Amino acid sequence: MSESQPDHKDSIPFFPDHVSTEFKVVLGVLGVVLIFGILGLVAPLGLGDPADPLNTPLHVKPEWYFLALYQLLKYIPKTAGAVAPVIFVLVVAIWPFLDRKVETTKRNQRIRFIVVAVGMIALIAMTIWGEVS
Amino acid sequence: MDRFERRPVGLVLLLAALVALIPFVNALARASTAPPDPGGNGTSLAASGEILEQAAVESAAVVPQPEQQDPCLHCHIVGENKGIWTPLARWSLFSSMGLLFVFGMYRSASVWKNRTPWVPLTKRAGEWVDERYEVSEPLTKILKKPVPKYALRWFYCLGGITAFLFVTQAITGIMLAFYYKPTPEAAFVSIQYIESQVRFGASIRMIHHWAANLMILMCTAHMLRVFIMGAYKKPRELNWVSGVLLLLLTLVFGFTGYLLPWDQRAFWATTVGSEIAGSIPVIGELALIFLRVGWDVSAQTLSRFYALHVIAVPIFTIVFMGAHFIMVRRQGIARPL
Repeated sequence: MSESQPDHKDSIPFFPDHVSTEFKVVLGVLGVVLIFGILGLVAPLGLGDPADPLNTPLHVKPEWYFLALYQLLKYIPKTAGAVAPVIFVLVVAIWPFLDRKVETTKRNQRIRFIVVAVGMIALIAMTIWGEVS
Repeated sequence: MDRFERRPVGLVLLLAALVALIPFVNALARASTAPPDPGGNGTSLAASGEILEQAAVESAAVVPQPEQQDPCLHCHIVGENKGIWTPLARWSLFSSMGLLFVFGMYRSASVWKNRTPWVPLTKRAGEWVDERYEVSEPLTKILKKPVPKYALRWFYCLGGITAFLFVTQAITGIMLAFYYKPTPEAAFVSIQYIESQVRFGASIRMIHHWAANLMILMCTAHMLRVFIMGAYKKPRELNWVSGVLLLLLTLVFGFTGYLLPWDQRAFWATTVGSEIAGSIPVIGELALIFLRVGWDVSAQTLSRFYALHVIAVPIFTIVFMGAHFIMVRRQGIARPL
Protein backbone atom coordinates (compact mmCIF):
# COMPACT_ATOMS: atom_id res chain seq x y z
CA MET A 1 0.00 0.00 0.00
CA SER A 2 3.01 2.25 -0.13
CA GLU A 3 1.99 3.12 -3.66
CA SER A 4 -1.32 4.58 -2.55
CA GLN A 5 0.31 6.93 -0.06
CA PRO A 6 2.87 8.87 -2.07
CA ASP A 7 4.98 11.37 -0.22
CA HIS A 8 3.97 14.99 -0.30
CA LYS A 9 6.52 16.10 -2.85
CA ASP A 10 4.99 14.33 -5.85
CA SER A 11 1.35 14.42 -4.84
CA ILE A 12 -1.47 16.91 -4.48
CA PRO A 13 -4.45 16.68 -2.13
CA PHE A 14 -7.61 15.22 -3.61
CA PHE A 15 -9.57 18.25 -2.43
CA PRO A 16 -9.44 20.99 -3.61
CA ASP A 17 -6.51 20.60 -6.03
CA HIS A 18 -7.43 17.42 -7.84
CA VAL A 19 -11.16 18.06 -7.67
CA SER A 20 -10.70 21.47 -9.27
CA THR A 21 -8.72 19.91 -12.11
CA GLU A 22 -11.45 17.33 -12.60
CA PHE A 23 -13.99 20.12 -12.48
CA LYS A 24 -12.29 21.85 -15.39
CA VAL A 25 -12.43 18.63 -17.39
CA VAL A 26 -16.10 18.28 -16.51
CA LEU A 27 -16.70 21.86 -17.69
CA GLY A 28 -15.02 21.03 -20.97
CA VAL A 29 -17.19 17.97 -21.50
CA LEU A 30 -20.21 20.00 -20.49
CA GLY A 31 -19.29 22.48 -23.21
CA VAL A 32 -19.24 19.65 -25.76
CA VAL A 33 -22.60 18.43 -24.46
CA LEU A 34 -24.03 21.94 -24.77
CA ILE A 35 -22.80 22.09 -28.36
CA PHE A 36 -24.72 18.86 -28.98
CA GLY A 37 -27.78 20.49 -27.45
CA ILE A 38 -27.50 23.61 -29.60
CA LEU A 39 -26.98 21.44 -32.66
CA GLY A 40 -30.17 19.62 -31.71
CA LEU A 41 -32.03 22.92 -31.75
CA VAL A 42 -30.57 23.94 -35.10
CA ALA A 43 -30.85 20.59 -36.86
CA PRO A 44 -32.80 17.94 -34.95
CA LEU A 45 -31.65 14.35 -35.15
CA GLY A 46 -34.79 13.31 -36.96
CA LEU A 47 -36.23 9.89 -37.64
CA GLY A 48 -36.28 7.57 -40.64
CA ASP A 49 -39.37 5.86 -41.90
CA PRO A 50 -41.41 4.04 -39.29
CA ALA A 51 -40.34 0.44 -38.73
CA ASP A 52 -41.88 -1.97 -41.20
CA PRO A 53 -41.09 -5.68 -40.64
CA LEU A 54 -42.36 -6.54 -44.12
CA ASN A 55 -40.09 -4.14 -45.98
CA THR A 56 -36.35 -4.76 -45.77
CA PRO A 57 -34.31 -1.73 -46.80
CA LEU A 58 -31.43 -2.15 -49.27
CA HIS A 59 -28.56 -1.50 -46.86
CA VAL A 60 -29.12 -3.02 -43.48
CA LYS A 61 -26.46 -2.05 -40.97
CA PRO A 62 -26.01 -2.43 -37.22
CA GLU A 63 -24.72 0.36 -34.96
CA TRP A 64 -21.27 1.63 -35.84
CA TYR A 65 -19.58 -0.20 -32.95
CA PHE A 66 -20.84 -3.55 -34.25
CA LEU A 67 -20.16 -2.63 -37.86
CA ALA A 68 -16.63 -4.07 -37.98
CA LEU A 69 -17.87 -7.36 -36.58
CA TYR A 70 -20.77 -7.37 -39.03
CA GLN A 71 -18.41 -6.76 -41.93
CA LEU A 72 -16.16 -9.57 -40.70
CA LEU A 73 -19.11 -11.94 -40.54
CA LYS A 74 -19.82 -11.37 -44.22
CA TYR A 75 -16.49 -12.87 -45.25
CA ILE A 76 -15.72 -15.63 -42.75
CA PRO A 77 -17.84 -18.62 -41.73
CA LYS A 78 -20.68 -17.56 -39.50
CA THR A 79 -19.91 -19.80 -36.53
CA ALA A 80 -16.24 -18.80 -36.46
CA GLY A 81 -17.18 -15.15 -36.83
CA ALA A 82 -19.57 -15.36 -33.92
CA VAL A 83 -17.34 -17.45 -31.66
CA ALA A 84 -14.23 -15.33 -32.19
CA PRO A 85 -15.56 -12.14 -30.52
CA VAL A 86 -16.94 -14.13 -27.59
CA ILE A 87 -13.57 -15.75 -27.02
CA PHE A 88 -11.85 -12.43 -27.56
CA VAL A 89 -13.99 -10.76 -24.90
CA LEU A 90 -13.42 -13.63 -22.48
CA VAL A 91 -9.65 -13.47 -22.99
CA VAL A 92 -9.71 -9.69 -22.53
CA ALA A 93 -11.76 -10.06 -19.35
CA ILE A 94 -9.33 -12.51 -17.74
CA TRP A 95 -6.22 -10.92 -19.27
CA PRO A 96 -4.72 -9.76 -15.92
CA PHE A 97 -4.70 -13.37 -14.79
CA LEU A 98 -2.86 -14.44 -17.94
CA ASP A 99 -0.28 -11.65 -18.01
CA ARG A 100 1.10 -11.69 -14.48
CA LYS A 101 4.73 -10.79 -14.96
CA VAL A 102 5.87 -7.76 -13.01
CA GLU A 103 7.31 -5.25 -15.44
CA THR A 104 10.48 -3.32 -14.85
CA THR A 105 11.13 -1.88 -18.32
CA LYS A 106 8.98 -0.11 -20.86
CA ARG A 107 9.54 -2.79 -23.50
CA ASN A 108 6.26 -4.65 -23.00
CA GLN A 109 4.45 -1.38 -22.82
CA ARG A 110 5.71 -0.49 -26.28
CA ILE A 111 4.75 -3.92 -27.62
CA ARG A 112 1.26 -3.51 -26.23
CA PHE A 113 1.04 -0.06 -27.77
CA ILE A 114 1.91 -1.45 -31.19
CA VAL A 115 -0.60 -4.30 -30.77
CA VAL A 116 -3.31 -1.82 -29.81
CA ALA A 117 -2.42 0.53 -32.66
CA VAL A 118 -2.53 -2.24 -35.25
CA GLY A 119 -5.75 -3.63 -33.80
CA MET A 120 -7.42 -0.22 -33.76
CA ILE A 121 -6.35 0.55 -37.32
CA ALA A 122 -7.76 -2.79 -38.46
CA LEU A 123 -10.98 -2.13 -36.53
CA ILE A 124 -11.38 1.36 -37.95
CA ALA A 125 -10.63 0.11 -41.44
CA MET A 126 -13.26 -2.62 -41.09
CA THR A 127 -15.77 -0.09 -39.75
CA ILE A 128 -15.18 2.31 -42.64
CA TRP A 129 -15.39 -0.57 -45.10
CA GLY A 130 -18.66 -1.64 -43.52
CA GLU A 131 -19.96 1.91 -43.67
CA VAL A 132 -19.23 2.43 -47.38
CA SER A 133 -20.12 -1.04 -48.60
CA MET B 1 -52.98 46.93 28.60
CA ASP B 2 -50.03 45.31 30.29
CA ARG B 3 -49.96 42.27 28.13
CA PHE B 4 -49.72 44.34 24.97
CA GLU B 5 -46.70 46.26 26.09
CA ARG B 6 -44.04 43.94 24.92
CA ARG B 7 -45.67 43.39 21.56
CA PRO B 8 -45.52 45.76 18.62
CA VAL B 9 -49.29 46.14 18.63
CA GLY B 10 -49.04 49.88 18.56
CA LEU B 11 -46.77 49.80 15.55
CA VAL B 12 -49.03 47.36 13.71
CA LEU B 13 -52.08 49.46 14.50
CA LEU B 14 -50.29 52.56 13.34
CA LEU B 15 -49.32 50.90 10.05
CA ALA B 16 -52.88 49.62 9.59
CA ALA B 17 -54.21 53.09 10.23
CA LEU B 18 -51.76 54.51 7.71
CA VAL B 19 -52.83 52.00 5.11
CA ALA B 20 -56.47 52.73 5.81
CA LEU B 21 -55.72 56.40 5.49
CA ILE B 22 -54.32 56.09 1.98
CA PRO B 23 -57.62 55.88 0.05
CA PHE B 24 -59.13 58.58 2.20
CA VAL B 25 -56.22 60.94 1.61
CA ASN B 26 -56.24 60.04 -2.03
CA ALA B 27 -59.93 60.79 -2.36
CA LEU B 28 -59.51 64.03 -0.51
CA ALA B 29 -56.70 65.03 -2.79
CA ARG B 30 -58.85 64.35 -5.84
CA ALA B 31 -61.72 66.33 -4.41
CA SER B 32 -59.55 69.36 -3.72
CA THR B 33 -57.89 69.50 -7.15
CA ALA B 34 -60.12 68.03 -9.80
CA PRO B 35 -63.77 68.36 -9.01
CA PRO B 36 -65.61 65.58 -10.83
CA ASP B 37 -67.72 66.61 -13.78
CA PRO B 38 -71.40 66.09 -13.14
CA GLY B 39 -71.55 63.50 -15.90
CA GLY B 40 -70.44 60.59 -13.85
CA ASN B 41 -67.37 59.88 -11.70
CA GLY B 42 -66.16 60.54 -8.16
CA THR B 43 -67.76 57.48 -6.72
CA SER B 44 -65.53 57.20 -3.67
CA LEU B 45 -66.07 60.69 -2.49
CA ALA B 46 -68.28 61.57 0.39
CA ALA B 47 -68.73 64.96 -1.13
CA SER B 48 -69.42 63.70 -4.58
CA GLY B 49 -72.58 62.04 -3.40
CA GLU B 50 -74.33 65.34 -3.35
CA ILE B 51 -72.92 66.36 -6.70
CA LEU B 52 -74.00 63.06 -8.16
CA GLU B 53 -77.48 63.49 -6.77
CA GLN B 54 -77.63 66.91 -8.26
CA ALA B 55 -76.41 65.53 -11.55
CA ALA B 56 -79.02 62.80 -11.40
CA VAL B 57 -81.70 65.32 -10.80
CA GLU B 58 -80.46 67.49 -13.63
CA SER B 59 -80.23 64.68 -16.17
CA ALA B 60 -81.66 61.41 -15.00
CA ALA B 61 -81.10 59.75 -18.35
CA VAL B 62 -77.33 60.06 -18.13
CA VAL B 63 -75.82 56.76 -17.06
CA PRO B 64 -72.73 57.16 -14.87
CA GLN B 65 -69.74 56.41 -17.11
CA PRO B 66 -66.78 54.38 -15.83
CA GLU B 67 -64.06 56.62 -14.56
CA GLN B 68 -61.72 57.85 -17.27
CA GLN B 69 -58.18 56.58 -16.78
CA ASP B 70 -55.55 59.24 -16.88
CA PRO B 71 -53.55 58.51 -20.05
CA CYS B 72 -50.43 60.21 -18.68
CA LEU B 73 -48.83 57.37 -16.68
CA HIS B 74 -45.80 59.45 -15.88
CA CYS B 75 -47.88 62.30 -14.44
CA HIS B 76 -49.80 59.71 -12.47
CA ILE B 77 -46.68 58.22 -10.93
CA VAL B 78 -45.15 61.58 -10.10
CA GLY B 79 -48.45 62.81 -8.73
CA GLU B 80 -48.29 65.94 -10.84
CA ASN B 81 -51.99 66.47 -11.25
CA LYS B 82 -52.97 65.25 -7.83
CA GLY B 83 -52.68 68.49 -5.92
CA ILE B 84 -50.85 68.80 -2.64
CA TRP B 85 -52.31 65.91 -0.64
CA THR B 86 -51.09 62.90 -2.59
CA PRO B 87 -47.42 63.90 -2.60
CA LEU B 88 -47.70 64.87 1.03
CA ALA B 89 -49.16 61.50 1.97
CA ARG B 90 -46.56 59.70 -0.08
CA TRP B 91 -43.72 61.64 1.43
CA SER B 92 -44.96 61.09 4.96
CA LEU B 93 -45.30 57.36 4.25
CA PHE B 94 -41.88 57.06 2.67
CA SER B 95 -40.17 59.18 5.29
CA SER B 96 -41.68 57.14 8.10
CA MET B 97 -40.36 54.03 6.36
CA GLY B 98 -37.03 55.76 6.03
CA LEU B 99 -37.01 56.59 9.73
CA LEU B 100 -37.82 52.96 10.47
CA PHE B 101 -34.90 51.91 8.25
CA VAL B 102 -32.51 54.31 9.99
CA PHE B 103 -33.65 53.03 13.34
CA GLY B 104 -33.09 49.47 12.17
CA MET B 105 -29.61 50.32 10.98
CA TYR B 106 -28.83 51.91 14.33
CA ARG B 107 -30.06 48.85 16.19
CA SER B 108 -28.16 46.53 13.85
CA ALA B 109 -25.00 48.52 14.44
CA SER B 110 -25.35 48.28 18.21
CA VAL B 111 -26.08 44.54 17.98
CA TRP B 112 -23.09 44.13 15.66
CA LYS B 113 -20.83 45.96 18.16
CA ASN B 114 -21.78 43.56 20.93
CA ARG B 115 -21.91 40.47 18.74
CA THR B 116 -20.55 37.03 19.47
CA PRO B 117 -18.14 35.78 16.82
CA TRP B 118 -20.16 35.04 13.69
CA VAL B 119 -20.33 31.43 12.53
CA PRO B 120 -21.46 30.97 8.93
CA LEU B 121 -24.67 29.04 8.47
CA THR B 122 -22.97 26.38 6.38
CA LYS B 123 -20.43 25.77 9.12
CA ARG B 124 -23.16 25.64 11.74
CA ALA B 125 -25.08 23.13 9.61
CA GLY B 126 -21.93 21.08 9.23
CA GLU B 127 -21.35 21.11 12.97
CA TRP B 128 -24.95 20.10 13.56
CA VAL B 129 -24.54 17.04 11.35
CA ASP B 130 -21.10 16.23 12.67
CA GLU B 131 -22.29 16.39 16.28
CA ARG B 132 -24.79 13.63 15.50
CA TYR B 133 -23.17 11.43 12.84
CA GLU B 134 -19.44 12.14 13.17
CA VAL B 135 -18.79 12.47 9.46
CA SER B 136 -16.08 15.09 9.53
CA GLU B 137 -13.15 12.82 10.27
CA PRO B 138 -13.75 10.19 7.55
CA LEU B 139 -14.74 12.94 5.12
CA THR B 140 -11.51 14.82 5.75
CA LYS B 141 -9.62 11.60 5.21
CA ILE B 142 -11.38 11.13 1.86
CA LEU B 143 -10.90 14.71 0.76
CA LYS B 144 -7.29 15.04 1.84
CA LYS B 145 -6.19 11.79 0.26
CA PRO B 146 -3.10 12.61 -1.77
CA VAL B 147 -3.32 12.15 -5.51
CA PRO B 148 -0.05 11.48 -7.32
CA LYS B 149 1.00 14.20 -9.71
CA TYR B 150 1.41 11.82 -12.63
CA ALA B 151 -2.37 11.33 -12.49
CA LEU B 152 -2.77 14.82 -13.87
CA ARG B 153 -1.68 13.82 -17.37
CA TRP B 154 -4.51 14.16 -19.87
CA PHE B 155 -4.92 10.46 -20.61
CA TYR B 156 -5.78 9.78 -16.98
CA CYS B 157 -9.07 11.67 -17.28
CA LEU B 158 -10.71 9.37 -19.85
CA GLY B 159 -12.38 7.22 -17.18
CA GLY B 160 -13.67 10.29 -15.37
CA ILE B 161 -15.12 11.65 -18.61
CA THR B 162 -16.89 8.33 -19.14
CA ALA B 163 -18.40 8.58 -15.66
CA PHE B 164 -19.52 12.13 -16.29
CA LEU B 165 -21.07 11.15 -19.61
CA PHE B 166 -22.92 8.37 -17.80
CA VAL B 167 -24.43 10.98 -15.49
CA THR B 168 -25.38 13.08 -18.54
CA GLN B 169 -27.01 10.02 -20.08
CA ALA B 170 -28.92 9.32 -16.86
CA ILE B 171 -30.30 12.86 -16.67
CA THR B 172 -31.21 13.23 -20.35
CA GLY B 173 -32.52 9.66 -20.37
CA ILE B 174 -34.91 10.38 -17.51
CA MET B 175 -36.04 13.50 -19.37
CA LEU B 176 -36.73 11.48 -22.52
CA ALA B 177 -38.49 8.76 -20.53
CA PHE B 178 -41.06 11.31 -19.41
CA TYR B 179 -42.37 11.45 -22.99
CA TYR B 180 -41.33 8.16 -24.58
CA LYS B 181 -43.88 5.34 -25.04
CA PRO B 182 -42.39 1.87 -25.59
CA THR B 183 -45.00 0.37 -27.92
CA PRO B 184 -44.70 -0.10 -31.70
CA GLU B 185 -47.75 2.08 -32.29
CA ALA B 186 -46.63 4.96 -30.07
CA ALA B 187 -42.81 4.87 -29.98
CA PHE B 188 -42.16 6.56 -33.31
CA VAL B 189 -44.86 9.17 -32.75
CA SER B 190 -43.69 9.89 -29.20
CA ILE B 191 -40.19 10.63 -30.47
CA GLN B 192 -41.63 12.86 -33.17
CA TYR B 193 -43.49 14.60 -30.36
CA ILE B 194 -40.26 14.99 -28.36
CA GLU B 195 -38.49 16.43 -31.40
CA SER B 196 -41.17 18.88 -32.44
CA GLN B 197 -43.39 19.72 -29.46
CA VAL B 198 -41.44 19.31 -26.24
CA ARG B 199 -39.46 22.36 -25.27
CA PHE B 200 -35.75 21.60 -25.85
CA GLY B 201 -36.78 18.02 -26.65
CA ALA B 202 -34.67 17.95 -29.82
CA SER B 203 -31.70 19.22 -27.78
CA ILE B 204 -32.08 16.58 -25.13
CA ARG B 205 -32.43 13.81 -27.68
CA MET B 206 -29.39 15.05 -29.58
CA ILE B 207 -27.34 15.13 -26.36
CA HIS B 208 -28.51 11.63 -25.41
CA HIS B 209 -27.60 10.31 -28.86
CA TRP B 210 -24.15 11.84 -29.20
CA ALA B 211 -23.09 11.53 -25.58
CA ALA B 212 -23.87 7.81 -25.91
CA ASN B 213 -21.47 7.47 -28.84
CA LEU B 214 -18.91 9.60 -27.03
CA MET B 215 -19.27 7.43 -23.94
CA ILE B 216 -18.46 4.28 -25.92
CA LEU B 217 -15.41 6.01 -27.43
CA MET B 218 -14.19 7.30 -24.06
CA CYS B 219 -14.77 3.95 -22.37
CA THR B 220 -12.73 2.18 -25.06
CA ALA B 221 -10.00 4.83 -24.93
CA HIS B 222 -9.79 4.47 -21.13
CA MET B 223 -9.51 0.71 -21.47
CA LEU B 224 -6.77 0.96 -24.09
CA ARG B 225 -4.85 3.41 -21.90
CA VAL B 226 -4.99 1.00 -18.97
CA PHE B 227 -4.02 -1.89 -21.22
CA ILE B 228 -1.06 -0.14 -22.82
CA MET B 229 0.32 1.09 -19.50
CA GLY B 230 -0.11 -2.29 -17.86
CA ALA B 231 -2.21 -0.80 -15.08
CA TYR B 232 -4.32 -3.97 -14.91
CA LYS B 233 -1.58 -5.97 -13.23
CA LYS B 234 -1.55 -7.15 -9.64
CA PRO B 235 -3.22 -5.92 -7.43
CA ARG B 236 -5.75 -4.43 -9.88
CA GLU B 237 -7.03 -7.54 -11.68
CA LEU B 238 -10.60 -7.26 -10.45
CA ASN B 239 -10.73 -3.62 -11.39
CA TRP B 240 -9.89 -4.60 -14.95
CA VAL B 241 -12.60 -7.28 -14.92
CA SER B 242 -15.20 -4.82 -13.65
CA GLY B 243 -14.04 -2.37 -16.30
CA VAL B 244 -14.54 -4.93 -19.07
CA LEU B 245 -18.01 -5.62 -17.71
CA LEU B 246 -18.73 -1.89 -17.71
CA LEU B 247 -17.67 -1.63 -21.36
CA LEU B 248 -19.97 -4.54 -22.22
CA LEU B 249 -22.80 -2.89 -20.30
CA THR B 250 -22.17 0.32 -22.24
CA LEU B 251 -22.45 -1.62 -25.48
CA VAL B 252 -25.69 -3.21 -24.25
CA PHE B 253 -26.92 0.29 -23.47
CA GLY B 254 -26.15 1.30 -27.04
CA PHE B 255 -27.66 -1.83 -28.56
CA THR B 256 -30.92 -1.66 -26.59
CA GLY B 257 -31.23 2.10 -26.96
CA TYR B 258 -30.81 1.96 -30.72
CA LEU B 259 -34.11 0.10 -31.17
CA LEU B 260 -36.23 2.51 -29.17
CA PRO B 261 -36.96 5.10 -31.93
CA TRP B 262 -38.63 2.24 -33.84
CA ASP B 263 -37.79 3.50 -37.30
CA GLN B 264 -36.51 1.37 -40.18
CA ARG B 265 -32.84 1.86 -39.28
CA ALA B 266 -33.42 0.92 -35.65
CA PHE B 267 -35.56 -2.08 -36.50
CA TRP B 268 -33.17 -3.60 -39.00
CA ALA B 269 -30.05 -2.81 -36.99
CA THR B 270 -31.57 -4.75 -34.12
CA THR B 271 -32.55 -7.53 -36.50
CA VAL B 272 -29.01 -8.01 -37.80
CA GLY B 273 -27.48 -7.34 -34.39
CA SER B 274 -29.46 -10.09 -32.75
CA GLU B 275 -28.70 -12.29 -35.76
CA ILE B 276 -25.00 -12.00 -34.88
CA ALA B 277 -25.83 -13.15 -31.37
CA GLY B 278 -27.96 -15.91 -32.84
CA SER B 279 -25.10 -17.32 -34.88
CA ILE B 280 -23.07 -18.26 -31.80
CA PRO B 281 -23.07 -22.07 -31.61
CA VAL B 282 -24.80 -23.86 -28.73
CA ILE B 283 -26.14 -20.79 -26.93
CA GLY B 284 -26.90 -18.65 -29.97
CA GLU B 285 -30.55 -19.55 -30.42
CA LEU B 286 -31.15 -19.10 -26.73
CA ALA B 287 -29.56 -15.66 -26.85
CA LEU B 288 -31.59 -14.74 -29.93
CA ILE B 289 -34.88 -15.81 -28.35
CA PHE B 290 -33.97 -14.03 -25.14
CA LEU B 291 -33.20 -10.82 -27.00
CA ARG B 292 -36.15 -10.86 -29.38
CA VAL B 293 -38.65 -12.63 -27.09
CA GLY B 294 -39.51 -15.01 -29.92
CA TRP B 295 -38.18 -15.45 -33.41
CA ASP B 296 -38.87 -11.95 -34.69
CA VAL B 297 -38.29 -8.40 -33.53
CA SER B 298 -41.73 -7.41 -32.26
CA ALA B 299 -43.60 -5.36 -29.69
CA GLN B 300 -42.25 -7.74 -27.06
CA THR B 301 -38.69 -6.98 -28.15
CA LEU B 302 -39.33 -3.28 -27.81
CA SER B 303 -40.72 -3.69 -24.29
CA ARG B 304 -37.81 -5.87 -23.29
CA PHE B 305 -35.20 -3.55 -24.73
CA TYR B 306 -36.84 -0.61 -23.01
CA ALA B 307 -36.84 -2.36 -19.64
CA LEU B 308 -33.22 -3.40 -20.13
CA HIS B 309 -32.23 0.08 -21.25
CA VAL B 310 -33.86 2.07 -18.47
CA ILE B 311 -33.89 -0.33 -15.50
CA ALA B 312 -31.75 -3.44 -15.65
CA VAL B 313 -28.59 -2.19 -17.34
CA PRO B 314 -28.45 1.08 -15.35
CA ILE B 315 -28.66 -0.81 -12.07
CA PHE B 316 -25.83 -3.17 -13.04
CA THR B 317 -23.80 -0.26 -14.38
CA ILE B 318 -24.16 1.74 -11.19
CA VAL B 319 -23.19 -1.24 -9.05
CA PHE B 320 -20.11 -2.02 -11.11
CA MET B 321 -19.17 1.64 -11.37
CA GLY B 322 -19.33 1.92 -7.58
CA ALA B 323 -17.11 -1.12 -7.22
CA HIS B 324 -14.74 0.25 -9.87
CA PHE B 325 -14.38 3.59 -8.09
CA ILE B 326 -13.99 2.10 -4.62
CA MET B 327 -11.24 -0.17 -5.88
CA VAL B 328 -9.46 2.77 -7.51
CA ARG B 329 -9.67 4.72 -4.25
CA ARG B 330 -8.37 1.82 -2.18
CA GLN B 331 -5.44 1.03 -4.41
CA GLY B 332 -4.59 4.43 -5.82
CA ILE B 333 -3.73 5.10 -9.42
CA ALA B 334 -1.13 2.76 -10.85
CA ARG B 335 2.34 4.25 -11.03
CA PRO B 336 3.64 4.41 -14.59
CA LEU B 337 7.00 2.86 -15.34
